[in-house]
Amino acid sequence: MASFAGVALVLLAVLVIRLWFLQVVSNQGYQQRAEANRLRTIITEAPRGAITDRNGKALVTSKEVLNLVALPQELTSDAGTRTLRHLSRALGHPAGYFQAKVAKAQKVSPFEPVVLQQDAPPALQAYVQERQAQLPGIELQAAYQREYPNGTLAAHILGYTGPIPVESITTYREQGYLGDETVGRAGVEGEYERYLRGIAGREQVEVNAQGDIVGRGVISQSAPRPGETLRLSIDLDVQGALEKALKAQVVSSGTSTGAAGVALDPKTGAVLAMASYPTYQPDVFESGTPREVRRVLTSPGRPLLNRSIGGEYPAASTFKAITASAALAAGLYRPGELIEAPGSVVLYKTRFRGFNNEAFGPIALPKALEVSSDTFFYALGDRSYRMRGWPLQEWSQKYGFGSPTGLDLAEGESAGLVPDLAYKRQSCNRKVDPINCSWRPGDSINMSIGQGNVLVTPLQMATAYAAIANGGKVITPTLGNAVVDTDGRVLRDLISARASRALGLSASNLDVIKQGLLLAANGNEGTATPVFGNLPPAFKVAGKTGTAENPSKIDHAWYVGYAPADDPKIVVAVVVERGGQGANSAAPAVCEAMAADLKFDSSRCGTAAKTN
Amino acid sequence: MSTLGRTGESFEARARARTAGMDWTLLGLTLAVSFFGIYMVRAATESDVSGDPGFFFTRQLAYTLVGLVCMFFILRLDLEWLSRYVWTIYAILVASVGAVLVLGASARGSTRWIDLGPVRVQPSELGKVVIAFVIAVVVMERLKSMDPARLTLMVLALALLPAIIVFLQPDLGTSLVYAAIALAILWVAGQPITHFAAIGAVLLVGVALVLYLLPAVGLNVLQPYQVDRLTSFVDSGSDRSQAGYQLEQSKVAIGSGGALGKGPSGATQTINDFLPEHHTDFIFAVVAEMFGFMGGGLLIAAYFILIWRAIVIMRLAATELERLVAAGITAMLAFEVFVNIGMNVGIMPITGIPLPFMSYGGSHTLTNLVAVGVLLRIGMRGRAAQAGAV
Repeated sequence: MASFAGVALVLLAVLVIRLWFLQVVSNQGYQQRAEANRLRTIITEAPRGAITDRNGKALVTSKEVLNLVALPQELTSDAGTRTLRHLSRALGHPAGYFQAKVAKAQKVSPFEPVVLQQDAPPALQAYVQERQAQLPGIELQAAYQREYPNGTLAAHILGYTGPIPVESITTYREQGYLGDETVGRAGVEGEYERYLRGIAGREQVEVNAQGDIVGRGVISQSAPRPGETLRLSIDLDVQGALEKALKAQVVSSGTSTGAAGVALDPKTGAVLAMASYPTYQPDVFESGTPREVRRVLTSPGRPLLNRSIGGEYPAASTFKAITASAALAAGLYRPGELIEAPGSVVLYKTRFRGFNNEAFGPIALPKALEVSSDTFFYALGDRSYRMRGWPLQEWSQKYGFGSPTGLDLAEGESAGLVPDLAYKRQSCNRKVDPINCSWRPGDSINMSIGQGNVLVTPLQMATAYAAIANGGKVITPTLGNAVVDTDGRVLRDLISARASRALGLSASNLDVIKQGLLLAANGNEGTATPVFGNLPPAFKVAGKTGTAENPSKIDHAWYVGYAPADDPKIVVAVVVERGGQGANSAAPAVCEAMAADLKFDSSRCGTAAKTN
Repeated sequence: MSTLGRTGESFEARARARTAGMDWTLLGLTLAVSFFGIYMVRAATESDVSGDPGFFFTRQLAYTLVGLVCMFFILRLDLEWLSRYVWTIYAILVASVGAVLVLGASARGSTRWIDLGPVRVQPSELGKVVIAFVIAVVVMERLKSMDPARLTLMVLALALLPAIIVFLQPDLGTSLVYAAIALAILWVAGQPITHFAAIGAVLLVGVALVLYLLPAVGLNVLQPYQVDRLTSFVDSGSDRSQAGYQLEQSKVAIGSGGALGKGPSGATQTINDFLPEHHTDFIFAVVAEMFGFMGGGLLIAAYFILIWRAIVIMRLAATELERLVAAGITAMLAFEVFVNIGMNVGIMPITGIPLPFMSYGGSHTLTNLVAVGVLLRIGMRGRAAQAGAV
């Protein structure tokens, strides 16, 4: 009989040991799980900060919308599946549409609400509210959505917002994101995410198993903090004028595939306008139909490409100012020297032709820039080939070519290309043409007029001419002006601390070049005089045309210039792909942008020029 | 001494005669655990019925008081006299559990109650004590006259008939208790060990058939929820069924209680309703959450002493019949305590067996108190017989 008591003792001792294990050994883990059960965090969305132009005019704002969301925990059963299928059909989707959406989102964060449809229209809101009882686990949740009052204006600058991509979710979580936020994905939305993001409010409450708030209620609380306003250096009027002008040039040319332009304040590097055509609707990824999204992604015009920083074009004659700088600085050309500029020259047994084979006789550097003489610059190219060192490459780099400018829009900025011996060695075909693996006289000669392999972006070109305009300072172009609070008080200056460096060209040498650029826009034989020659004296322009040969057979048109010539306030570079001669399509767009900034009558801008 | 003194003496004498041989430890522990159980039911259910925090408390208090009254009547019940009506009693048992199947009220997918106007009774609960008594009578009468193997078979048949009916309600836990009672009585009666080996083997095969083999060929003897309950304790984390959830929440409740517990107002697993069935099958988890290892350990110790006193009474029993009845009741209590707490802490399958004297429920409370009453009477008679022999 005592054995019965023994058995009972052993069995109950087993229970006590197990109890010891659960309550004393594993206590901490279970305590955390009990806390996780009873505590729930309620998130209150905070709006993302607005983006404005330099004068505080709105470019992007946030509006409050109601999203249709699914709560995945409440939709796991068969009934949940039925609810989702029913809702999919009721809203005109295939039956499995929402279920697939929920399943996909759950892979990232299994318990977060899944947005089924953003910005539910009033009819849908009414539908859901009336059927709340039949749609368990389906809710309307307040959220904020980006709104673009100016449509596509400045789309490439602004970029767009979207959900955190699955592959970078851990990086975001380390920065305090939950994982289901909408974040800046491109443009300044992405670049200045840390200021623009709103910090959602969190309220920790005690709940019961049914999810009702019980007992002690709110345990801890932090208020939602709206994002700060980003003020850009962009001027809405200049941006609008430039975009309009680019579009008009592309459309009227009939052959053009796109255009890009950048306007800078040469003194500060502030980007006054930056445009790329074709463009896209910035909210297409947030609220566009699948067809619209597909078109943006696959259109041959590549509307997502920001051509002003990511488009690489042959520099063409706009590069002559750089060649001139190199020749002056290296002593290859002394101011006042006359060089014979025939229609074509034979150098190293090869004939190099000037544009239209036009002959100008013996001319000095300013005149050569005015008429854009190729043979004059061939001579300078030949001189630079003959001397020791690499003055063309060196000065290209001093002006900022061959590397990104450091714009506060790092993503998508191209370096361009300054060809040198290393480039030739690496790009040539040793078997077919081994001689081409060295730097040859023709390379220097072609480079002197910006052809050959020189590739630049419009932003690089504007930055280079800004250095000429401001007396020799290579600035870092900047889109952000300041982070401001809702009252417009500056919280953080984004522009004055930006780096700049000295170009290193003497003032007298710069003056020779400036003189030539002024003549090119105003002289009797100036290539762009038909466009700029009629401007009021206070707004005289200095600049250079370019006609870039390229594989497409139809030339790209360039113009880069600054105004007013004696005290430049704006420098604009424009390239029109397959736009023909520079003065014809690019220069008028530059003139339009300058008119918008300097407030002169744009009807004073001429529409056509003759050459190179 | 005065008249007053005489009457006093006579009252004292009468009281002493009535309680001669009373096992005060068993009685005291039963009362203590029962009233602790009432307190726990109240603490666990205060927020369950809106507007009536005492809903379950007042009912459990009433059940317990009714049970105690029955217990004191049982103290005078003559089992030898009652054994004359054993077949009538057995027939009533089978008929009443059968009636539940036909006209019973159901709750959560199973039918266990008969509505009798204002009260609902669960015949299968009271049946536990009845089956202990019936089997004890049958074994006692035939132990010396019948072939042991035939007796074992007969006892098993007698226990299995109501057990199967109860199982069909479906109430797996209670039918298992019937089996445990029958086996304990056979064991105490001294049936050969080979019988138990054979029964064990048949059981193993049966479990394998019911859980794995028959479902594989498309025959489902158990309800899906029963299979979940039986298997989820092996790995409750991976089990997303109701049973797995219950077990996980029970473990979280117990584990988070720690050494000293979170107190009645801090036991969020219970109060906030994460722990289902917190006033019935999972009340032990509530004790462990509120009062920690200390509370849970003390309660287990109380059950050990209770079972030990039952075993002592079984040893004292005056007659073979009483010894066998005591064995059945002891086995019933021990089985229920171990299986219930075992399922709370996750080492036994979830079989829906309540914790004696603690879990909320009228029939079940009544049954356990009646069972203790029977034990107490057997103990009193045993002590009286010993005193007489000396």
